[in-house]
Amino acid sequence: MNRRQLLGAVAVGLMLPSLALAHGPTRQKVTLTQEFAATPEEVWEVVGNFQDMSWHPAVHSSTGEGGNDIDATRVLTLGAEGGPTISEILYKFSDEKMSYSYRITDVKVEVLPVTNYSAHITVKPVDGGGALIEWRGAFYRGYPNNDPPPELNDEAAIAAVTGVYQAGLDALAARFAGN
Amino acid sequence: MRLLRVLQGIKQPLSLMFTLAATALAAGDFAYVTNQNSSDLSILDLDAGREVARVPVPGNPAGVTLSVARDAVYTVSPETKTVARHTLDGAFHSRIILEGGPIGIALDEARDRLFVSDWYNARIWVLSADDLSLQATLQTGSAPAGLAVSPDGRWVVSADRDADQLSVFSAADLSLHLRASVGIRPFAVTFGPKGRIFSADVGSDALSVVDAQTGKLLTTLPVGDRPYGVAFAQGKGFVSNQYADTLSVFDLDSLKMLSELDVGEYPEGIGATSDGKTIVVANWFSNTVSLIDVASLTVRAEIETGDGPRAFGTFLAARK
Repeated sequence: MNRRQLLGAVAVGLMLPSLALAHGPTRQKVTLTQEFAATPEEVWEVVGNFQDMSWHPAVHSSTGEGGNDIDATRVLTLGAEGGPTISEILYKFSDEKMSYSYRITDVKVEVLPVTNYSAHITVKPVDGGGALIEWRGAFYRGYPNNDPPPELNDEAAIAAVTGVYQAGLDALAARFAGN
Repeated sequence: MRLLRVLQGIKQPLSLMFTLAATALAAGDFAYVTNQNSSDLSILDLDAGREVARVPVPGNPAGVTLSVARDAVYTVSPETKTVARHTLDGAFHSRIILEGGPIGIALDEARDRLFVSDWYNARIWVLSADDLSLQATLQTGSAPAGLAVSPDGRWVVSADRDADQLSVFSAADLSLHLRASVGIRPFAVTFGPKGRIFSADVGSDALSVVDAQTGKLLTTLPVGDRPYGVAFAQGKGFVSNQYADTLSVFDLDSLKMLSELDVGEYPEGIGATSDGKTIVVANWFSNTVSLIDVASLTVRAEIETGDGPRAFGTFLAARK
């Protein structure tokens, strides 16, 4: 999936008032994993910096504060300069465990149709050599009330998050395929 | 290279569902865990340390309460707006559809009443615990979530999440007793000893401790990230911290924090076994429950559940 397709997949048309605190009744979960022909250290070297998400094809730029400390923040600009943004905060980080956890503090549902989103990225060794990334997200759909429109329902939220993770993991797979 | 790719968040295949044995389950402590993502109910034999049945409950159930005397487990499915009654063996008994956003549930055993919160319409439905018929509605603040009935049967309390308050009603005549301000976005609520209400405030990462009679906020206890439930055993309180993947443990007398224990991912519903020796917590992302030994404050076992266990309410039963 290229950048334009990804942005198309996550863009939805409906405008809603800001309801950042509210959410629908059922939290959703997505887990994607991807193996790489590289050491865990090599993979963590690429993904293990909260302030650098340049490995993801949808991310144009990232600005932030606090490095990899707890409560560090970043604002991801998607696609191109002036593109839509996602604001995130770091709430767990461990070089030792090669894992960090973050949540979205601000995103428009037209950009990513989710609310109350949190995620973990973890790099693990694979038996017999190689490394694996596990990317997990937990979130509610973009529409906080009963009977959501199709572009803001549970399935749309799962599809959008899955698309983001898939694009990132595909790009990493291509990067490490050259090893 | 693409060797492995797993996508969760979809329904479990039907073939994974257990078939119920026709014979009654044994005596002892059991857990009735609502699995919101796989839309079923896991029945766990805690003494044997295994799942003994998994029964379909449509509509992404979260809320749960039960009565051993009534041979009843009640579940709340927000997506289908349904409250269902099952036997303790998991057989379907009856159900009612409630137009709104049913989520939390609590039982007044003495008065045969069920209370169900309506997340979208700032109210509580009062149902017959026998046939689930609607008897009354009570007005709450915005987005009521967790509910509890006091052990002495005097009070019913709702955590009004988006109003940052508790509503306390008289259980006898269903009149409003008071509203009490707490921390930011209380979600779960539990009665502790001495008529104290403990609300888990997910927005301020703290517990509020409120006197039910006076409505006074006695103290605020900082806990871990996104607290989602509270339980008590042997003079200690246990709080599930959803984002921290931990339990906070505090002393009930001094209300001081004692320690923090690692459990599974996104711990939510939490309760104590009848002998007070074990705390059981549902790990929503891990699809397990963790059993914590209260004396040693260590995790002594895990039991697998369906997908997305929430166990939001009273989910532990001592079967005779």
